[in-house]
Amino acid sequence: MRKSRLLICLLLFSSLVLSGCNDLIEIDEMIYPLIIGVDIGVENKVRMTLQYPTYKGVTGGAIGGGGEGGGGGGEISKTGELEGTVITTIEASTLLEGVNLLNIAVSRRISLTHTKMLVFSEEFARKGVGEYLAPMMRYRETRRIMHVVVCRGKAEDFIKTNKSTIGASATKSMELMVTQSENSGLFSKETFIDFYHDILSPSQNAITAYAGVNDFNNLSQDEPPDNPPLNEYYNFVPGEVPRKGAAQREFLGTAVFKTDKMVGYLNAHETRYLMMITGKLKRALVSLEDVNKPGYAIVVDKRIGRKPVIKGYFEDGIPVINIKLNMEGDLGAIQSRINYDSMERIEELNRMIEERIKKGVERTIKKVQKEFKSDIFDFGYKFAGYFDTIQEWEEYDWHKHFPEAKINVEVEFNVRRTGVMYGSSPILDSDYEE
Amino acid sequence: MLKEGKIGLAEAVSITTLLIITKIFYSSTAVVVKKTGTAAWYMTIISFLTSMLLFTLVYILMKRFPGKNIIEIFQIVLGRFIGKSLGLGFSAFILYYSAMSLREFLELLKAYVLPYTPPSLIFASFICVTILLAYLGFEVIARVSYISIYPVLIGLGILLILASTYYKVDNIKPFFGYGLNTTMYNGVMRSSAYAEVMLLAVAMNTLKDTKTFKKAGYISLVFGGAFFSICLLLYVMAFSYTIGSENLSGMFQLSRIIYLSRFVQRVESLFLFIWVISSVVTVSISFYMSMATYCKVFDIPSQKPLVYVFGILLFTLAILPKNLSEVIEIHMIVIRQYSGIWVFGGPIIVLLISLLLRKKGGSIKDEKI
Repeated sequence: MRKSRLLICLLLFSSLVLSGCNDLIEIDEMIYPLIIGVDIGVENKVRMTLQYPTYKGVTGGAIGGGGEGGGGGGEISKTGELEGTVITTIEASTLLEGVNLLNIAVSRRISLTHTKMLVFSEEFARKGVGEYLAPMMRYRETRRIMHVVVCRGKAEDFIKTNKSTIGASATKSMELMVTQSENSGLFSKETFIDFYHDILSPSQNAITAYAGVNDFNNLSQDEPPDNPPLNEYYNFVPGEVPRKGAAQREFLGTAVFKTDKMVGYLNAHETRYLMMITGKLKRALVSLEDVNKPGYAIVVDKRIGRKPVIKGYFEDGIPVINIKLNMEGDLGAIQSRINYDSMERIEELNRMIEERIKKGVERTIKKVQKEFKSDIFDFGYKFAGYFDTIQEWEEYDWHKHFPEAKINVEVEFNVRRTGVMYGSSPILDSDYEE
Repeated sequence: MLKEGKIGLAEAVSITTLLIITKIFYSSTAVVVKKTGTAAWYMTIISFLTSMLLFTLVYILMKRFPGKNIIEIFQIVLGRFIGKSLGLGFSAFILYYSAMSLREFLELLKAYVLPYTPPSLIFASFICVTILLAYLGFEVIARVSYISIYPVLIGLGILLILASTYYKVDNIKPFFGYGLNTTMYNGVMRSSAYAEVMLLAVAMNTLKDTKTFKKAGYISLVFGGAFFSICLLLYVMAFSYTIGSENLSGMFQLSRIIYLSRFVQRVESLFLFIWVISSVVTVSISFYMSMATYCKVFDIPSQKPLVYVFGILLFTLAILPKNLSEVIEIHMIVIRQYSGIWVFGGPIIVLLISLLLRKKGGSIKDEKI
């Protein structure tokens, strides 16, 4: 009896530890692509690019280092090695088949369980991504919380510039890069699950981050004028920002989708207004031209004070949307040295900022309504409640009615803190313009 | 007479509650959302109310025959032959329920976690545990249920809290889903999802009295109803009705999208524990109940000689469905949508007959064959 009990215990224990044996794969028997790029194929439906770590140990400040002659110096090698990662491209009929086909050259099993980013080229996104999303969604390994990005130019070229310039880990670098959306509000971030959800939704449309590759040739080489203009609108597209250094890939703005097709993009400013309406703006450092002293900037660190209040109702059959934004911020700088932080003038500053935000929000919504006809603000949900059933709501077709919606915007802004200064003393110089 | 020992109210509630709530981990959530859309969360309240009503009728029947389990009552009211046949039908159904639950668990496990492990290996290891629990008897199963329900509920609670960043109240609009009629119809039909409470009637002899039966039944139904309603509400708030109807295991998908920070993400592995624990206990309870019913029909004093035979039957039944589609579209619909007709309907008809024939109390021996 004792023996049989012991046998039962042994069998039970073995079932606990052995039942997963068939699926057992050592961690170094697999490779985990960090990023998947999708372009239109030439000889087949899609051209897919994967970037995955080489596991070669840390050399030269990057995962795997790239080894000798292996792209360690920042240039991509013939084998596709780039600073501790390998970039490989293949054409296939579907993304999953592409992953499978790569097994002919990659010595480890490819697993998508840790993929951080899915990048579509703009050309591909404008044709429609729906037929490629569904299989990805169905696939067991697809990571639902990876981020979706649309890039200008080719996704392959975008991935070729994706390397870590700070720290050893390309993975960490990518993950942190996306969270920069929260630190600046300059680009949107959207996870795969949210993107897929929005594409299917009858109440809203999808967005993704908009990205590009900067060749560092955008900084003007002209002689600077005596009095350069204050350009408070950061109206650049990704890839064309006048800058040098750091990574070549850059994220700026929002790609706008209608159903599964990209229909346009919002620039960085408009992206911030979008994020204000959707309540996703965590922080945005904005320079505003001082109306009392043109040419001088007031820098404000803006954030959402209270969750936006959005109400929708029908007036004579036309949808009307009332938006109440409650924003707040801290003063970063007052170049004019006007004491806006005093009790008398702080309200004046508040009104000035409110006016700017209101105009910006109205302009952004109008642009989206007229040019894209795509509800990326999630307004549809405010009207779905007026319909009893899903059938009635889907039959109404919110996407068709969104462009005709009347929008009323109300903004309240409060400067809460004034940085680590309270008041500005004048610069006592006869040449200084008072 | 099968010797099953005695269990208290807490154990009885644990058994039925665990049986009821485990299906939230399976395809149930998506199926309900597919049928009723945004109304899924209150459709289940209709199901719960319907099952409360049906359970009350069963309670009236049990009260007329104090100290008797449902199989004995069948025999007292309908005579030994029909009673035993009905009891045998119950036994077969519970075994079928157990096998299909096992198969659904396997399909989901293979879809998400162990795609390359042969099904027979998973079945074998699972059935080994099931057989052991069933061999050790009802009291042991009850204690295991009582211990298991805490990690299952706490784990699921943590999961639902961690996923809170995805909840959007707007996702439950339009409020009436695919229409009130559809919601009502599905609500009444899906009362089958609460039919597990009827196992208390089979295990009546292990309970103190009919009042304990009533209390345990009502508590587990109320708890199950509230649990389902909250889970479905949060599920629809997270996924909306569009992709909410596409997920194979709604709760598992919810666990996969949890992302709080770079350090708190990919928590689905923790979810696997509660999923496996609840599934093992659920299959074990139903497996044992099937044998216990069989023993009660044929007056077998111990379930122990039957465990291996029933284990093989469980395995055989579980491998019968050809594919996942068959499991979800046929077997799960039978169990979760139509089984109530049989599980609740049978005893209610017996109640009506007993009222008509004015049968009350008594024993099987009083009946003429």
